Amino acid sequence: MIRFENVSKIYKGSVTALNDVSVDIAKGEFVFLVGPSGSGKSTFLKLLLRDEMASSGRIVVAGRDIGRLGSWKVPQLRRNIGCVFQDYKLLPSKTVYENVAFALEVIGRPRHIINTQVPQILDLVGLTKKADNFTTELSGGEQQRVSIARAFVNRPLILLADEPTGNLDPGTTVGIMRLLDRINRYGTTVVMATHDQRIVDAMRRRVLELDRGQLVRDQARGVYGVGA
Amino acid sequence: MTRLRYFVRETLISLRRNLLMTLAGILTVAVSLFLFGGVMLLSRLVENGTDRWRHDVKLEIFMNVDASNGQIAAVEEELKGSPEVKDFEFLTKKDAYDEFKRIFPDDPALVSEVEPASLPTSFRVVPTQAEFTASIANRFTGRTGVDEVITAQEQVDRMLTATRWIRFTFWSLAAVLLASSLFLIVNTIRLATFARRREIEVMKLVGASNWFVRVPFMAEGLVQGAIGAGLAFGLVYGLRVILTDLVKNADNLFTHFYVTSSDAVGIGIIVLLIGAGIGMLGSAIGLRRFLEV
Repeated sequence: MIRFENVSKIYKGSVTALNDVSVDIAKGEFVFLVGPSGSGKSTFLKLLLRDEMASSGRIVVAGRDIGRLGSWKVPQLRRNIGCVFQDYKLLPSKTVYENVAFALEVIGRPRHIINTQVPQILDLVGLTKKADNFTTELSGGEQQRVSIARAFVNRPLILLADEPTGNLDPGTTVGIMRLLDRINRYGTTVVMATHDQRIVDAMRRRVLELDRGQLVRDQARGVYGVGA
Repeated sequence: MTRLRYFVRETLISLRRNLLMTLAGILTVAVSLFLFGGVMLLSRLVENGTDRWRHDVKLEIFMNVDASNGQIAAVEEELKGSPEVKDFEFLTKKDAYDEFKRIFPDDPALVSEVEPASLPTSFRVVPTQAEFTASIANRFTGRTGVDEVITAQEQVDRMLTATRWIRFTFWSLAAVLLASSLFLIVNTIRLATFARRREIEVMKLVGASNWFVRVPFMAEGLVQGAIGAGLAFGLVYGLRVILTDLVKNADNLFTHFYVTSSDAVGIGIIVLLIGAGIGMLGSAIGLRRFLEV
Protein backbone atom coordinates (compact mmCIF):
# COMPACT_ATOMS: atom_id res chain seq x y z
CA MET A 1 0.00 0.00 0.00
CA ILE A 2 2.79 2.40 0.96
CA ARG A 3 6.41 1.97 -0.09
CA PHE A 4 9.32 4.31 0.58
CA GLU A 5 12.42 3.53 -1.50
CA ASN A 6 15.56 5.32 -0.29
CA VAL A 7 13.62 8.47 0.39
CA SER A 8 15.44 11.57 1.55
CA LYS A 9 14.05 15.00 2.19
CA ILE A 10 16.29 18.00 2.53
CA TYR A 11 14.64 21.34 3.27
CA LYS A 12 16.11 24.44 1.69
CA GLY A 13 19.30 22.66 0.81
CA SER A 14 20.62 22.19 4.33
CA VAL A 15 18.18 20.69 6.84
CA THR A 16 17.94 16.95 6.41
CA ALA A 17 14.51 15.83 7.61
CA LEU A 18 14.58 12.29 6.24
CA ASN A 19 17.68 10.40 5.30
CA ASP A 20 17.53 7.37 3.01
CA VAL A 21 14.39 5.84 4.46
CA SER A 22 13.08 2.60 2.96
CA VAL A 23 9.98 0.93 4.31
CA ASP A 24 7.03 -1.12 3.14
CA ILE A 25 3.58 -0.88 4.70
CA ALA A 26 1.01 -3.45 3.63
CA LYS A 27 -2.68 -2.87 3.15
CA GLY A 28 -4.60 -3.04 6.40
CA GLU A 29 -1.59 -2.53 8.66
CA PHE A 30 -1.62 -0.33 11.74
CA VAL A 31 1.72 1.42 12.08
CA PHE A 32 3.04 3.70 14.80
CA LEU A 33 5.60 6.27 13.81
CA VAL A 34 7.63 7.22 16.87
CA GLY A 35 10.64 9.33 17.65
CA PRO A 36 11.51 12.64 19.29
CA SER A 37 10.41 16.01 17.91
CA GLY A 38 12.30 16.84 14.74
CA SER A 39 13.02 13.21 13.97
CA GLY A 40 11.11 13.41 10.69
CA LYS A 41 7.67 12.00 11.59
CA SER A 42 5.73 14.96 10.22
CA THR A 43 7.85 15.06 7.11
CA PHE A 44 7.09 11.38 6.57
CA LEU A 45 3.35 12.15 6.62
CA LYS A 46 3.69 15.30 4.49
CA LEU A 47 5.54 13.34 1.83
CA LEU A 48 2.71 10.80 1.73
CA LEU A 49 0.20 13.59 1.12
CA ARG A 50 2.42 15.21 -1.49
CA ASP A 51 2.35 18.28 0.72
CA GLU A 52 6.11 18.08 0.25
CA MET A 53 8.12 16.41 -2.48
CA ALA A 54 10.93 13.95 -1.73
CA SER A 55 14.38 15.29 -2.55
CA SER A 56 15.40 11.84 -3.71
CA GLY A 57 14.03 8.32 -3.74
CA ARG A 58 10.61 7.03 -4.67
CA ILE A 59 7.33 6.95 -2.77
CA VAL A 60 4.69 4.56 -4.05
CA VAL A 61 1.13 4.80 -2.72
CA ALA A 62 -1.46 2.30 -3.92
CA GLY A 63 0.77 1.33 -6.82
CA ARG A 64 1.51 4.85 -8.01
CA ASP A 65 4.76 6.76 -7.82
CA ILE A 66 3.42 9.94 -6.25
CA GLY A 67 6.52 11.94 -7.13
CA ARG A 68 5.45 11.65 -10.74
CA LEU A 69 1.84 12.70 -10.27
CA GLY A 70 0.86 15.84 -12.11
CA SER A 71 -0.30 18.52 -9.72
CA TRP A 72 -3.85 18.16 -11.03
CA LYS A 73 -3.82 14.53 -9.89
CA VAL A 74 -2.74 15.30 -6.33
CA PRO A 75 -6.35 15.89 -5.19
CA GLN A 76 -7.16 12.38 -6.40
CA LEU A 77 -4.35 11.00 -4.23
CA ARG A 78 -5.63 12.92 -1.23
CA ARG A 79 -9.13 11.55 -1.63
CA ASN A 80 -7.62 8.17 -0.86
CA ILE A 81 -5.84 9.41 2.25
CA GLY A 82 -7.74 10.61 5.29
CA CYS A 83 -5.95 12.94 7.69
CA VAL A 84 -6.28 13.61 11.39
CA PHE A 85 -4.28 16.25 13.26
CA GLN A 86 -3.48 17.18 16.80
CA ASP A 87 -5.32 20.49 16.37
CA TYR A 88 -8.35 18.90 14.59
CA LYS A 89 -8.52 21.55 11.83
CA LEU A 90 -12.29 21.85 12.09
CA LEU A 91 -14.25 24.82 10.75
CA PRO A 92 -15.72 26.77 13.67
CA SER A 93 -18.40 28.40 11.55
CA LYS A 94 -19.95 25.03 10.72
CA THR A 95 -21.80 22.45 12.76
CA VAL A 96 -20.54 18.91 13.33
CA TYR A 97 -22.71 17.65 10.50
CA GLU A 98 -21.61 20.43 8.16
CA ASN A 99 -17.94 19.88 8.92
CA VAL A 100 -18.20 16.26 7.85
CA ALA A 101 -20.49 17.01 4.90
CA PHE A 102 -18.06 19.70 3.71
CA ALA A 103 -15.42 17.05 2.98
CA LEU A 104 -17.82 15.30 0.62
CA GLU A 105 -19.25 18.49 -0.84
CA VAL A 106 -15.93 19.84 -1.98
CA ILE A 107 -14.99 16.68 -3.80
CA GLY A 108 -18.26 16.95 -5.68
CA ARG A 109 -20.24 14.11 -4.12
CA PRO A 110 -23.96 14.32 -4.90
CA ARG A 111 -26.37 15.37 -2.20
CA HIS A 112 -28.05 12.00 -1.71
CA ILE A 113 -24.70 10.32 -0.99
CA ILE A 114 -23.83 13.04 1.51
CA ASN A 115 -27.21 12.61 3.17
CA THR A 116 -26.67 8.90 3.74
CA GLN A 117 -22.94 8.78 4.49
CA VAL A 118 -22.67 11.59 7.01
CA PRO A 119 -25.23 10.15 9.48
CA GLN A 120 -23.58 6.72 9.13
CA ILE A 121 -20.15 8.03 9.98
CA LEU A 122 -21.46 10.19 12.83
CA ASP A 123 -23.04 7.05 14.23
CA LEU A 124 -19.71 5.23 13.92
CA VAL A 125 -17.86 7.92 15.92
CA GLY A 126 -20.74 8.22 18.38
CA LEU A 127 -21.72 11.82 17.69
CA THR A 128 -25.20 11.45 16.23
CA LYS A 129 -26.68 13.47 19.08
CA LYS A 130 -24.22 16.32 18.56
CA ALA A 131 -24.72 16.60 14.81
CA ASP A 132 -26.20 20.09 15.03
CA ASN A 133 -23.76 21.48 17.59
CA PHE A 134 -21.00 23.81 16.56
CA THR A 135 -17.58 22.29 17.00
CA THR A 136 -16.62 24.99 19.50
CA GLU A 137 -19.23 23.57 21.85
CA LEU A 138 -17.55 20.17 21.94
CA SER A 139 -14.86 18.70 24.18
CA GLY A 140 -11.42 17.96 22.76
CA GLY A 141 -12.17 14.27 22.42
CA GLU A 142 -15.43 14.98 20.63
CA GLN A 143 -13.71 17.40 18.28
CA GLN A 144 -11.15 14.76 17.43
CA ARG A 145 -13.99 12.35 16.70
CA VAL A 146 -15.47 14.86 14.27
CA SER A 147 -12.09 15.18 12.63
CA ILE A 148 -11.81 11.39 12.34
CA ALA A 149 -15.32 11.24 10.93
CA ARG A 150 -14.35 13.82 8.31
CA ALA A 151 -11.18 11.93 7.43
CA PHE A 152 -12.99 8.62 7.12
CA VAL A 153 -16.34 9.61 5.61
CA ASN A 154 -14.97 9.12 2.11
CA ARG A 155 -13.71 5.63 3.03
CA PRO A 156 -10.06 6.30 2.19
CA LEU A 157 -7.54 3.48 1.74
CA ILE A 158 -5.17 5.13 4.18
CA LEU A 159 -5.66 7.14 7.35
CA LEU A 160 -2.81 9.33 8.55
CA ALA A 161 -2.89 10.61 12.10
CA ASP A 162 -0.37 13.17 13.34
CA GLU A 163 -0.35 13.14 17.15
CA PRO A 164 -4.13 12.71 17.25
CA THR A 165 -4.15 12.29 21.03
CA GLY A 166 -1.59 14.99 21.75
CA ASN A 167 -4.15 17.34 23.28
CA LEU A 168 -6.30 14.72 25.03
CA ASP A 169 -6.38 13.28 28.52
CA PRO A 170 -5.67 9.54 28.97
CA GLY A 171 -9.33 8.55 29.32
CA THR A 172 -10.33 10.29 26.12
CA THR A 173 -7.26 8.93 24.37
CA VAL A 174 -8.44 5.37 24.91
CA GLY A 175 -11.72 6.17 23.19
CA ILE A 176 -9.93 7.71 20.19
CA MET A 177 -7.58 4.72 19.91
CA ARG A 178 -10.53 2.31 19.97
CA LEU A 179 -12.04 4.30 17.14
CA LEU A 180 -8.84 4.21 15.08
CA ASP A 181 -8.52 0.49 15.77
CA ARG A 182 -12.06 -0.03 14.55
CA ILE A 183 -11.38 1.91 11.38
CA ASN A 184 -8.26 -0.21 10.89
CA ARG A 185 -10.39 -3.34 11.14
CA TYR A 186 -12.48 -2.11 8.21
CA GLY A 187 -9.31 -2.66 6.16
CA THR A 188 -7.98 0.89 6.22
CA THR A 189 -4.22 1.24 6.56
CA VAL A 190 -3.49 3.49 9.53
CA VAL A 191 -0.24 5.37 10.05
CA MET A 192 -0.08 7.25 13.32
CA ALA A 193 2.71 9.51 14.47
CA THR A 194 2.80 9.76 18.25
CA HIS A 195 4.76 10.58 21.37
CA ASP A 196 2.41 8.65 23.61
CA GLN A 197 4.36 5.74 25.02
CA ARG A 198 1.39 4.15 26.80
CA ILE A 199 -0.67 3.83 23.64
CA VAL A 200 2.14 2.23 21.70
CA ASP A 201 2.97 -0.18 24.47
CA ALA A 202 -0.67 -1.10 24.99
CA MET A 203 -1.58 -1.67 21.34
CA ARG A 204 1.43 -3.74 20.34
CA ARG A 205 1.39 -2.88 16.68
CA ARG A 206 4.18 -2.38 14.20
CA VAL A 207 6.50 0.44 15.26
CA LEU A 208 8.73 2.53 13.00
CA GLU A 209 11.18 4.65 14.94
CA LEU A 210 12.81 7.65 13.38
CA ASP A 211 15.82 9.45 14.79
CA ARG A 212 17.25 12.53 13.11
CA GLY A 213 15.74 11.47 9.82
CA GLN A 214 16.96 7.88 9.91
CA LEU A 215 14.77 4.84 10.30
CA VAL A 216 16.43 3.22 13.32
CA ARG A 217 13.87 0.56 14.16
CA ASP A 218 11.14 -1.39 12.39
CA GLN A 219 9.53 -3.80 14.77
CA ALA A 220 6.36 -5.84 14.41
CA ARG A 221 4.21 -5.76 17.58
CA GLY A 222 6.68 -3.30 19.06
CA VAL A 223 6.76 -0.99 22.03
CA TYR A 224 7.65 2.70 22.31
CA GLY A 225 11.23 2.63 23.55
CA VAL A 226 13.93 0.11 22.74
CA GLY A 227 14.29 -2.43 25.55
CA ALA A 228 11.25 -1.15 27.38
CA MET B 1 -26.46 20.63 -8.94
CA THR B 2 -24.77 20.27 -5.57
CA ARG B 3 -21.73 22.00 -7.01
CA LEU B 4 -23.63 24.85 -8.56
CA ARG B 5 -25.45 25.52 -5.31
CA TYR B 6 -22.18 25.32 -3.45
CA PHE B 7 -20.47 27.83 -5.78
CA VAL B 8 -23.34 30.32 -5.70
CA ARG B 9 -23.56 30.14 -1.91
CA GLU B 10 -19.83 30.50 -1.35
CA THR B 11 -19.51 33.37 -3.82
CA LEU B 12 -22.34 35.32 -2.21
CA ILE B 13 -20.98 34.77 1.29
CA SER B 14 -17.59 36.00 0.24
CA LEU B 15 -18.95 39.06 -1.56
CA ARG B 16 -20.94 40.00 1.52
CA ARG B 17 -18.05 39.45 3.87
CA ASN B 18 -15.86 41.94 2.01
CA LEU B 19 -18.66 44.31 1.16
CA LEU B 20 -16.65 47.53 1.29
CA MET B 21 -13.76 46.23 -0.79
CA THR B 22 -16.23 44.69 -3.19
CA LEU B 23 -18.03 48.00 -3.63
CA ALA B 24 -14.75 49.83 -4.15
CA GLY B 25 -13.81 47.33 -6.84
CA ILE B 26 -17.18 47.62 -8.53
CA LEU B 27 -17.12 51.42 -8.49
CA THR B 28 -13.64 51.78 -9.95
CA VAL B 29 -14.49 49.30 -12.66
CA ALA B 30 -17.66 51.30 -13.36
CA VAL B 31 -15.95 54.68 -13.47
CA SER B 32 -13.02 53.54 -15.57
CA LEU B 33 -15.22 51.69 -18.03
CA PHE B 34 -17.61 54.63 -18.17
CA LEU B 35 -14.72 56.87 -19.21
CA PHE B 36 -13.58 54.23 -21.63
CA GLY B 37 -17.07 53.81 -23.11
CA GLY B 38 -17.61 57.57 -23.15
CA VAL B 39 -14.46 58.08 -25.19
CA MET B 40 -15.51 55.38 -27.59
CA LEU B 41 -18.92 57.00 -27.90
CA LEU B 42 -17.37 60.40 -28.51
CA SER B 43 -15.10 58.88 -31.11
CA ARG B 44 -18.03 57.34 -32.87
CA LEU B 45 -19.86 60.65 -32.74
CA VAL B 46 -16.97 62.56 -34.26
CA GLU B 47 -16.29 59.81 -36.75
CA ASN B 48 -19.91 59.74 -37.88
CA GLY B 49 -20.11 63.53 -37.97
CA THR B 50 -16.93 64.01 -39.95
CA ASP B 51 -17.35 61.00 -42.18
CA ARG B 52 -17.69 63.07 -45.33
CA TRP B 53 -14.61 65.13 -44.48
CA ARG B 54 -12.27 62.23 -44.29
CA HIS B 55 -9.49 61.62 -46.81
CA ASP B 56 -8.98 65.40 -47.08
CA VAL B 57 -12.36 66.05 -48.64
CA LYS B 58 -12.82 69.77 -48.05
CA LEU B 59 -16.06 70.52 -49.83
CA GLU B 60 -19.14 68.85 -51.16
CA ILE B 61 -21.15 70.16 -54.13
CA PHE B 62 -24.84 69.21 -53.90
CA MET B 63 -26.75 69.15 -57.18
CA ASN B 64 -30.46 69.96 -57.38
CA VAL B 65 -32.61 66.91 -56.85
CA ASP B 66 -33.90 67.30 -60.40
CA ALA B 67 -30.57 68.30 -61.95
CA SER B 68 -30.26 66.94 -65.48
CA ASN B 69 -27.54 64.55 -66.51
CA GLY B 70 -26.12 67.32 -68.68
CA GLN B 71 -25.79 69.67 -65.73
CA ILE B 72 -24.10 66.95 -63.69
CA ALA B 73 -21.75 66.14 -66.55
CA ALA B 74 -20.86 69.82 -66.90
CA VAL B 75 -19.82 70.06 -63.26
CA GLU B 76 -17.89 66.83 -63.53
CA GLU B 77 -16.05 68.10 -66.65
CA GLU B 78 -15.11 71.30 -64.92
CA LEU B 79 -13.83 69.50 -61.83
CA LYS B 80 -11.74 67.24 -64.06
CA GLY B 81 -10.24 70.18 -65.88
CA SER B 82 -9.54 72.23 -62.78
CA PRO B 83 -5.88 72.25 -61.66
CA GLU B 84 -6.93 73.15 -58.09
CA VAL B 85 -8.79 69.86 -57.75
CA LYS B 86 -6.68 66.94 -56.75
CA ASP B 87 -9.45 64.38 -56.64
CA PHE B 88 -13.22 64.10 -56.45
CA GLU B 89 -15.86 61.48 -55.96
CA PHE B 90 -19.38 61.41 -57.40
CA LEU B 91 -22.16 60.17 -55.10
CA THR B 92 -25.24 58.85 -56.88
CA LYS B 93 -28.76 59.05 -55.47
CA LYS B 94 -28.32 55.49 -54.29
CA ASP B 95 -25.09 56.35 -52.46
CA ALA B 96 -26.90 59.24 -50.79
CA TYR B 97 -29.75 56.95 -49.81
CA ASP B 98 -27.38 54.37 -48.33
CA GLU B 99 -25.73 57.05 -46.28
CA PHE B 100 -29.08 58.35 -45.15
CA LYS B 101 -30.01 54.91 -43.95
CA ARG B 102 -26.73 54.66 -42.11
CA ILE B 103 -27.34 57.95 -40.31
CA PHE B 104 -30.88 57.16 -39.19
CA PRO B 105 -31.05 53.47 -38.37
CA ASP B 106 -33.03 54.34 -35.23
CA ASP B 107 -35.72 56.08 -37.24
CA PRO B 108 -37.19 53.56 -39.69
CA ALA B 109 -40.27 55.77 -40.13
CA LEU B 110 -38.12 58.56 -41.45
CA VAL B 111 -36.15 56.24 -43.70
CA SER B 112 -39.32 54.75 -45.16
CA GLU B 113 -40.55 58.24 -46.10
CA VAL B 114 -37.44 58.93 -48.12
CA GLU B 115 -36.76 57.44 -51.50
CA PRO B 116 -33.48 57.45 -53.38
CA ALA B 117 -35.09 59.63 -56.05
CA SER B 118 -35.83 62.39 -53.57
CA LEU B 119 -32.18 62.79 -52.58
CA PRO B 120 -29.63 64.93 -54.42
CA THR B 121 -26.48 63.65 -56.09
CA SER B 122 -23.23 65.27 -55.00
CA PHE B 123 -19.49 65.60 -55.60
CA ARG B 124 -16.97 65.27 -52.77
CA VAL B 125 -13.91 67.27 -53.69
CA VAL B 126 -10.31 67.10 -52.52
CA PRO B 127 -8.44 70.28 -53.44
CA THR B 128 -4.70 70.15 -54.13
CA GLN B 129 -4.27 72.61 -51.25
CA ALA B 130 -6.67 73.46 -48.44
CA GLU B 131 -6.45 77.19 -49.33
CA PHE B 132 -8.22 76.56 -52.64
CA THR B 133 -11.35 75.39 -50.84
CA ALA B 134 -13.07 78.77 -50.81
CA SER B 135 -12.30 79.61 -54.42
CA ILE B 136 -13.60 76.25 -55.66
CA ALA B 137 -16.71 76.67 -53.52
CA ASN B 138 -17.33 80.16 -54.92
CA ARG B 139 -16.89 78.97 -58.48
CA PHE B 140 -19.62 76.35 -58.21
CA THR B 141 -22.07 78.18 -55.98
CA GLY B 142 -25.06 79.36 -57.99
CA ARG B 143 -24.11 77.29 -61.04
CA THR B 144 -27.12 75.90 -62.90
CA GLY B 145 -28.10 72.57 -61.44
CA VAL B 146 -26.06 73.19 -58.28
CA ASP B 147 -28.15 73.46 -55.14
CA GLU B 148 -25.47 74.36 -52.59
CA VAL B 149 -21.82 73.92 -51.79
CA ILE B 150 -20.83 73.08 -48.24
CA THR B 151 -17.26 73.22 -47.01
CA ALA B 152 -15.43 71.71 -44.09
CA GLN B 153 -15.31 74.73 -41.92
CA GLU B 154 -12.41 75.43 -39.68
CA GLN B 155 -14.55 74.27 -36.77
CA VAL B 156 -14.63 70.78 -38.17
CA ASP B 157 -10.90 70.72 -38.63
CA ARG B 158 -10.38 72.10 -35.17
CA MET B 159 -12.79 69.61 -33.71
CA LEU B 160 -10.89 66.74 -35.22
CA THR B 161 -7.70 67.97 -33.58
CA ALA B 162 -9.38 68.72 -30.29
CA THR B 163 -11.09 65.38 -30.03
CA ARG B 164 -7.79 63.68 -30.73
CA TRP B 165 -6.48 65.27 -27.50
CA ILE B 166 -9.63 64.57 -25.56
CA ARG B 167 -9.49 60.99 -26.68
CA PHE B 168 -5.87 60.64 -25.67
CA THR B 169 -6.49 62.13 -22.22
CA PHE B 170 -9.56 60.00 -21.57
CA TRP B 171 -7.93 56.83 -22.82
CA SER B 172 -5.00 57.38 -20.46
CA LEU B 173 -7.30 58.16 -17.56
CA ALA B 174 -9.40 55.11 -18.30
CA ALA B 175 -6.27 52.94 -18.51
CA VAL B 176 -5.01 54.18 -15.14
CA LEU B 177 -8.40 53.60 -13.54
CA LEU B 178 -8.68 50.16 -15.08
CA ALA B 179 -5.30 49.27 -13.64
CA SER B 180 -6.38 50.47 -10.20
CA SER B 181 -9.61 48.53 -10.40
CA LEU B 182 -7.53 45.48 -11.25
CA PHE B 183 -5.43 46.03 -8.11
CA LEU B 184 -8.54 46.49 -6.01
CA ILE B 185 -10.00 43.23 -7.25
CA VAL B 186 -6.71 41.41 -6.68
CA ASN B 187 -6.70 42.77 -3.15
CA THR B 188 -10.32 41.80 -2.51
CA ILE B 189 -9.60 38.26 -3.63
CA ARG B 190 -6.49 38.10 -1.46
CA LEU B 191 -8.51 39.22 1.54
CA ALA B 192 -11.19 36.69 0.71
CA THR B 193 -8.70 33.84 0.48
CA PHE B 194 -7.12 34.97 3.72
CA ALA B 195 -10.47 35.11 5.49
CA ARG B 196 -11.13 31.59 4.28
CA ARG B 197 -7.69 30.05 4.65
CA ARG B 198 -8.98 27.40 7.05
CA GLU B 199 -11.62 26.25 4.61
CA ILE B 200 -9.07 26.23 1.83
CA GLU B 201 -6.67 24.19 3.94
CA VAL B 202 -9.36 21.62 4.68
CA MET B 203 -10.47 21.55 1.05
CA LYS B 204 -6.97 20.77 -0.11
CA LEU B 205 -6.56 18.20 2.63
CA VAL B 206 -9.62 16.21 1.64
CA GLY B 207 -8.73 16.37 -2.03
CA ALA B 208 -10.91 19.09 -3.53
CA SER B 209 -9.65 19.74 -7.02
CA ASN B 210 -7.81 23.00 -7.61
CA TRP B 211 -10.54 24.47 -9.75
CA PHE B 212 -13.09 23.60 -7.10
CA VAL B 213 -11.13 25.69 -4.62
CA ARG B 214 -10.77 28.52 -7.10
CA VAL B 215 -14.18 28.79 -8.73
CA PRO B 216 -15.93 30.72 -5.93
CA PHE B 217 -13.13 33.28 -5.92
CA MET B 218 -13.06 33.53 -9.70
CA ALA B 219 -16.82 34.02 -9.63
CA GLU B 220 -16.37 36.72 -7.02
CA GLY B 221 -13.99 38.66 -9.26
CA LEU B 222 -16.18 38.07 -12.26
CA VAL B 223 -19.25 39.38 -10.46
CA GLN B 224 -17.41 42.53 -9.42
CA GLY B 225 -16.14 43.18 -12.93
CA ALA B 226 -19.47 42.44 -14.53
CA ILE B 227 -21.54 44.59 -12.15
CA GLY B 228 -19.09 47.46 -12.60
CA ALA B 229 -19.27 47.04 -16.35
CA GLY B 230 -23.07 46.85 -16.20
CA LEU B 231 -23.16 50.20 -14.39
CA ALA B 232 -20.76 51.67 -16.92
CA PHE B 233 -22.93 50.36 -19.75
CA GLY B 234 -25.98 52.04 -18.24
CA LEU B 235 -24.09 55.32 -17.93
CA VAL B 236 -22.77 55.13 -21.49
CA TYR B 237 -26.24 54.45 -22.78
CA GLY B 238 -27.53 57.41 -20.80
CA LEU B 239 -24.75 59.56 -22.22
CA ARG B 240 -25.81 58.56 -25.70
CA VAL B 241 -29.36 59.73 -25.04
CA ILE B 242 -28.09 63.06 -23.71
CA LEU B 243 -25.71 63.52 -26.64
CA THR B 244 -28.38 62.75 -29.18
CA ASP B 245 -30.70 65.25 -27.52
CA LEU B 246 -28.03 67.95 -27.48
CA VAL B 247 -27.20 67.38 -31.10
CA LYS B 248 -30.85 67.48 -32.16
CA ASN B 249 -31.30 70.89 -30.58
CA ALA B 250 -28.04 72.34 -31.87
CA ASP B 251 -27.54 74.27 -35.10
CA ASN B 252 -27.26 72.51 -38.42
CA LEU B 253 -23.48 72.12 -38.32
CA PHE B 254 -24.09 69.34 -35.84
CA THR B 255 -26.90 67.60 -37.58
CA HIS B 256 -24.41 65.14 -38.96
CA PHE B 257 -23.20 64.26 -35.50
CA TYR B 258 -25.06 61.29 -34.14
CA VAL B 259 -24.56 57.99 -32.35
CA THR B 260 -26.89 55.17 -33.19
CA SER B 261 -28.19 52.87 -30.51
CA SER B 262 -26.33 50.02 -32.18
CA ASP B 263 -23.12 52.03 -31.71
CA ALA B 264 -23.99 52.33 -28.02
CA VAL B 265 -24.85 48.65 -27.70
CA GLY B 266 -21.65 47.65 -29.48
CA ILE B 267 -19.63 49.79 -27.09
CA GLY B 268 -21.64 48.37 -24.20
CA ILE B 269 -20.71 44.82 -25.18
CA ILE B 270 -17.04 45.73 -25.39
CA VAL B 271 -17.32 47.41 -21.98
CA LEU B 272 -18.95 44.30 -20.47
CA LEU B 273 -16.31 41.99 -21.89
CA ILE B 274 -13.51 44.17 -20.57
CA GLY B 275 -15.19 44.34 -17.15
CA ALA B 276 -15.59 40.58 -16.95
CA GLY B 277 -12.03 40.12 -18.20
CA ILE B 278 -10.64 42.50 -15.56
CA GLY B 279 -12.57 40.63 -12.87
CA MET B 280 -11.27 37.24 -13.95
CA LEU B 281 -7.73 38.50 -14.35
CA GLY B 282 -7.85 40.12 -10.91
CA SER B 283 -9.01 36.87 -9.33
CA ALA B 284 -6.42 34.85 -11.18
CA ILE B 285 -3.62 37.10 -9.91
CA GLY B 286 -5.10 37.17 -6.41
CA LEU B 287 -5.25 33.38 -6.41
CA ARG B 288 -1.83 32.81 -7.89
CA ARG B 289 -0.32 31.30 -4.82
CA PHE B 290 -3.09 28.72 -4.79
CA LEU B 291 -2.16 27.52 -8.22
CA GLU B 292 0.48 25.35 -6.60
CA VAL B 293 -0.86 22.57 -4.46
